[in-house]
Amino acid sequence: MPDWKQIVRKNLRVLGVCSPEFTEELAGHLEDSYEALLCEGVPAEVAFHRTVSQIEGRCRIWLVLRFLQEEFMTGFTRMNGFIRKVALPGLLTTAASGLVGWVLIRANIWPKIILMPNRQFQMFLALWPWWWGMLPLCGALGALLSQRNGGSRLQRIAAATAPGAVIGALLLLEFPVAFIFDGLVNHRWWGSAMWEGLGLLLLQFAVIPAVLLLLGVGVVEKARRMPSRAI
Amino acid sequence: MASVNAQIKRGSAELAVLTLLAEHPLHGYEIAKQIEAQTGGVLRFDMASLYPMLHRLERKSWVKAEWQTLPNGRRRRCYRLTATGRRQIAPLRAEWRAFFHALQSVTGFQNA
Repeated sequence: MPDWKQIVRKNLRVLGVCSPEFTEELAGHLEDSYEALLCEGVPAEVAFHRTVSQIEGRCRIWLVLRFLQEEFMTGFTRMNGFIRKVALPGLLTTAASGLVGWVLIRANIWPKIILMPNRQFQMFLALWPWWWGMLPLCGALGALLSQRNGGSRLQRIAAATAPGAVIGALLLLEFPVAFIFDGLVNHRWWGSAMWEGLGLLLLQFAVIPAVLLLLGVGVVEKARRMPSRAI
Repeated sequence: MASVNAQIKRGSAELAVLTLLAEHPLHGYEIAKQIEAQTGGVLRFDMASLYPMLHRLERKSWVKAEWQTLPNGRRRRCYRLTATGRRQIAPLRAEWRAFFHALQSVTGFQNA
C-alpha cells in the first residue's frame, strides 16, 4: 500500500497549507479512492496514477489556491468582525468623549488645577469633574454599540474603554517622540520629574477616564442580566 | 451528461453537502461519492473543491468534524451537521427554489 501521507506531504508542503490533521484527512481520501479503484478491477499501477493525479499538477495548484482563498476570507471576516464589534464602537466612544470635553471647554468650564507641592519643576493635577462625570455615559454608549453588533463581553469592554486606551497610548508615545525632536521637551526634565509628569497625565487622561468608562460598561452589563418584563 | 458550470456547482455545493449530512455523519470521500452517485455524476467534487468547503462550513459551525477510528484501524475525519447547520438548510433550499423558478420563467425550460 502506498504511503499516502507522505505523498500528500510532498505535494502540499508549499506555503504551509498542510497541517498534520489535513494531511491525514487527504491521505484518507486518497486511500479510499485507491481502494475503490482496485475493487473495480483497475490494475494497481493504473489505480495509483489515477489516485495521485487528484493531488498533482493542476489539481494540486487548485487545492493550494482554494485553501489560501479560504484562509484569506476567514481572516477578512475576522477583521470585519473586529471592526464592527470593537474598532467602530471604540472610535465612536472616543469621538463622543472628545466632543463632551470640547463642548465643556467651549462653554468655559475648565478643570480645577491642583499644584503639586515641593517639586523641583512645577507640576499640577487637573481635575475634570464635569468631563469625568459624563464618561460613564460614553462608556455605556460604546458597550451598547458593541453589544448591538454582537460583541462579546471582552469586546464590549475594549470598545467602551477605547478613549482611555487611545489617550494613554498617545501620551506614552508623545514623550519619546518629543525627546527625539530636540526643543520640544526641556531635557532637564528627563529623569524622575518626567516620569512623574507622565504619570500625572496618564492618571487624569487615561486611568481615571478608563475607570469611569468601565462604570458605564458595568451599568450596561447589569441591565443585560436583568430579566425583561413584558408590558 | 451535461457538465455543470463551476460557479453554479460551487453555489449549490453547500446545500448538497448539508442535505446529505442531515441524514447521517460522513467523511469527505463518502460525501463526494454519495453526491456523485445521487446526481448521476453531474455533480462531482474533487478534493480541491470539497475540503476547503468542508473546512469553511466547519469554521461557520454548520458542521462539526470528529476523528473516528474505523474497524480496520484507519482514522477518518467524519463531518456531522450541527443545529446551526440544520437551520441553514431551509433558507438555502428556498433560495435555490426561487432561483430555479426565476430561471424557469425566463428561459421557459421545464423539469424533465
